[in-house]
Amino acid sequence: MLTTAPHLYIRRPSPTTAEFTVTTCPPLTVPLRLLLLTLHLARALLFSAAILVLYARFVEPSQHHDHRHHYYHHQGCCTPIFPFQLFLAGDVPQFLTTLLQTAHRSQPGIFLSQLTAPLPDWAVAAASLAAAYAAVCFRLHRTESVLVLRGLGIQTCTIRGKWGGCFGTQTRFIPTEQIRDVLINEAFRGFEVRYYLIVVVEGEEDVVVLFPGLLPRRRIVEAVWRGVKGCLFEGEEDGKG
Amino acid sequence: MHPFSILTLGIFVAGYITARWDLVTRLYELAIFAWNYGVVTRAAKGFAVLSLFFLLIFLPVERLATRESDLHPRSIGSGISAREQLRRRGRDGLMRVFWPADLPRSDLRGVVVGWRNSALDVFVLTILEEVEPRNVEFALKTGILLRDAPHPVSRIYELCGQLAIHVLGLSNTHESVEVDPSWIRVTIGPGRRVPAVTCSRASSIQIILFERPHPGRMQYISLNPITLALGDKHDSFRHDAPDACEDDDEKEARRRKEEKRHLVEKLKQHSIFKRVPSEKEKALAKIVNQINWAWELEKLLQKNVSRIGTRPKRSLSVSERVVESATNARDMLVVWIWNQFTVYVWPVIKRMFVLGLVAHRIAAEVLLRILEWRARPRYAALKDVSATAQQVEIRLQQFCYWPMQYVTLRRRENDWDSVTTSHPDYIRFYNSLWLVANDVIIGMALGSYIIDNADRVAQQISQLLTEYTVEALQSSISWLMGWPAGLKLNNELAVFLGDLFLWVIDYWSSFIEALRPILPHIIWFIGFSSFAGASMPVALFSDLLSILTVHIYSFYLASGRIYHWQLNILISLFHLFRGKKHNVLRNRIDSCDYDLDQLLVGTILFTVLSFLLPTVVVFYLNFAIARMVIISLKAVFDTLLSCLNHFPLFALMLRIKDPGRLPGGIRFELRDTQDFKHSINGSSEQLPSTSVIYLKSVPLQFKAMFHQYFQMGHRIRKHYLAPRVLLCLITGKFVPPLNRKNLYSLQYSMLPARRAGVMEMWNAVNSLPEPKKRIAPVHVPVLANGMKLPSNYRGGKPRGYG
Repeated sequence: MLTTAPHLYIRRPSPTTAEFTVTTCPPLTVPLRLLLLTLHLARALLFSAAILVLYARFVEPSQHHDHRHHYYHHQGCCTPIFPFQLFLAGDVPQFLTTLLQTAHRSQPGIFLSQLTAPLPDWAVAAASLAAAYAAVCFRLHRTESVLVLRGLGIQTCTIRGKWGGCFGTQTRFIPTEQIRDVLINEAFRGFEVRYYLIVVVEGEEDVVVLFPGLLPRRRIVEAVWRGVKGCLFEGEEDGKG
Repeated sequence: MHPFSILTLGIFVAGYITARWDLVTRLYELAIFAWNYGVVTRAAKGFAVLSLFFLLIFLPVERLATRESDLHPRSIGSGISAREQLRRRGRDGLMRVFWPADLPRSDLRGVVVGWRNSALDVFVLTILEEVEPRNVEFALKTGILLRDAPHPVSRIYELCGQLAIHVLGLSNTHESVEVDPSWIRVTIGPGRRVPAVTCSRASSIQIILFERPHPGRMQYISLNPITLALGDKHDSFRHDAPDACEDDDEKEARRRKEEKRHLVEKLKQHSIFKRVPSEKEKALAKIVNQINWAWELEKLLQKNVSRIGTRPKRSLSVSERVVESATNARDMLVVWIWNQFTVYVWPVIKRMFVLGLVAHRIAAEVLLRILEWRARPRYAALKDVSATAQQVEIRLQQFCYWPMQYVTLRRRENDWDSVTTSHPDYIRFYNSLWLVANDVIIGMALGSYIIDNADRVAQQISQLLTEYTVEALQSSISWLMGWPAGLKLNNELAVFLGDLFLWVIDYWSSFIEALRPILPHIIWFIGFSSFAGASMPVALFSDLLSILTVHIYSFYLASGRIYHWQLNILISLFHLFRGKKHNVLRNRIDSCDYDLDQLLVGTILFTVLSFLLPTVVVFYLNFAIARMVIISLKAVFDTLLSCLNHFPLFALMLRIKDPGRLPGGIRFELRDTQDFKHSINGSSEQLPSTSVIYLKSVPLQFKAMFHQYFQMGHRIRKHYLAPRVLLCLITGKFVPPLNRKNLYSLQYSMLPARRAGVMEMWNAVNSLPEPKKRIAPVHVPVLANGMKLPSNYRGGKPRGYG
């Protein structure tokens, strides 16, 4: 429901420039947007819960004593302050610690610490770090694109793996001068034959595969190939040349 | 002709004919013969056929061609040259405009100035405001706009690949103004991020916006990632590789690479024809240079705008004169003091420094010669054996390379800031300086700790030594001598081997006892050496470890050899058992008829040796494990050394501080043109189809910075974690340590393959340019004729860069 089979979007503001995007993200309708929003909220919640568990287990006990001391000294003048006042005052670290403390003392925080109490330290640390990583870096949709600029070259934008977060995207620009040809190749992959686009680059020992992560179906590959041929090379319309 | 000469000629011809009458008769006979055999009629027929062809085919074709060429007339030039074809193919009406995104946007009338790379490929440098295009063109031709350039102007043209700066068009002019058809019309204003560009010749337009890199901050862009290592190193190492032991897996890898290359080569043959790249496509490298120059050129042009046209003259007012003379008086004093300093003090300091440097260089040369000396070409030099020697060598090489690097960097000052060729040198130079400084700082901390606690450290070390290299070995050997872990070994052999090793260990422990009183001194020496950098004590400790565990190494060798022999004997006896034998000449197993007594003795020996094998195996395993532990310890030391020597710290800091200084390629971003078109609606004109593209520089990836470390890790992993090593361990063959040269290619990656000689350095240091004389500044007030932006209103000096 949240993802579809890879499909193609073409953006072509002028006949000499085109961007081909293959994505698994379905067209954004209102229910889907709402669903995605809740998903993002859930991720944020998971992340903050993981941080809170880490804080409660490893930081709080050492600071607890400290802060009681602190309160003891200032009990006369100190009214309970709201964390956002600190944030507005620009004291971000203090704001964060206060926020974490407040969360820790709240009902869900106590519930969380009770939940994790029977687990050993290393298990808590590993589990919460894994949860935080998953919440931040899990990629729901995968998008890869090829930008074709006549007279300049081809730029590929690829994604490595499902867990890279925003670090997995790699762009690579290949100047037209170095492009020998753009071809459709076929290869065995498991028990099927896949067609994929390659760029043969002058003076390089490897060919460059377009859309290496998604490897879209033949229909899409052919459409992209025609588009690239027509857009990149002068005097060749729709790849007939 | 003179009648007399005609007469002479006539007499000559007549005379000749009468003299050679037989020639005339011969000709006459030939004519008669030809007529008789029908030669004339045949020639007439051929002529008739040819004329028929001409009438029926050539004439109509010629008429058709004329009509066609009348239909599609071509302007000039008769033949179609390759250049002509190229130009024609470029006629798809695509115009490419490179536009600096950070150019000041104002809605005043202006003249767009920049490079014209080809007919429809322009690169905008700046907009000169409130000037006449005619004047600008004249100023560009006469070079007025490039006056007062700090460095030679020809360098600009050379690097940007163009012969002149052109007027490219007009900005914010009214429709009615007549312009050259190749010029562009630009509409821009404070509210509009992307300029609207039209050109009468273009049918579609690519506007490529880029942020200009700031040459003063040493930012630049490049198509290829910046190389942090020196390029020439790898080749020299590759040359050395074949004579060193080249492993099977290395050969295998090379074979696989060759195969792949072959496949790709085949794939390339799929493309049938080779496209000739057009002018625009070839211009990319030039354009990258032009982008790098954009900032500096724009500043220069804007500075000289005021010189366009006639300059109004005006004398200074009285108050201005008073201010001027006061500043002049102060400046004169400063200049006088500076001149005294440069004339009398500076040369002395400089000369002494240079002499010191050269003396140091000579001493370094002597030391380096000692370290690199080999008794025979294939023998190991001192630096190949000892980590300390290698560390000293690396430091000395660095010291030798620094003056040369510094000289190249100083030469940079005499050139434009936008010349980017020396930026990697800059990074390398300061990286190595910074690493050495860091090394010394860490070394001081470490050294002072070691010196202060020399006794305690020495005691710790000697305790560790006795505990692990003597007592642990002794206890393990005595454990092996009495049936270890319930294994029933051969008592006699175990006791013999154990006693042998124990005896050597006893001897060794007495040596260590003798060493104990000197150990604090050695430790003190190590501590003292660490003032030359923390890498020194690490290297010394690494060497100390190899020296103090020599006995384990020799035990490993001895037991390994015994085990290996025994295994070999067992294998050949097994062949005997089967009635076969190993043919050494052909390297194969042949069948062989043995005598009965041979078989009998062989079988008995086989039995005996196979029962003795476990005893030898346990001793061998014991020492092999100890040896592996020592190798991994040394690997830790080596990794530490390579981190201390060549960690790309400066590059990392630069990457965090200013990613623009470490370019790793370029990237384009296609922008939506919806809002762009929307904003145009106000004006009446129809825009050609336009795509807006942002050109951005990609900072160098972290992976590329640590590329060499990955390479080294890969090499180590391949060498030690290969099945070959396991096989060596199992069969008792000696596991060859990784070639030091291979391991340390990383260490040398930032040094040149050949160090500069003493004389070379002397010449280089003496060729340094003199420091600039400070000339008494004369303030000429800049009187603006054209409209000038307030940010540029700074007279001669460019703005201070951060």
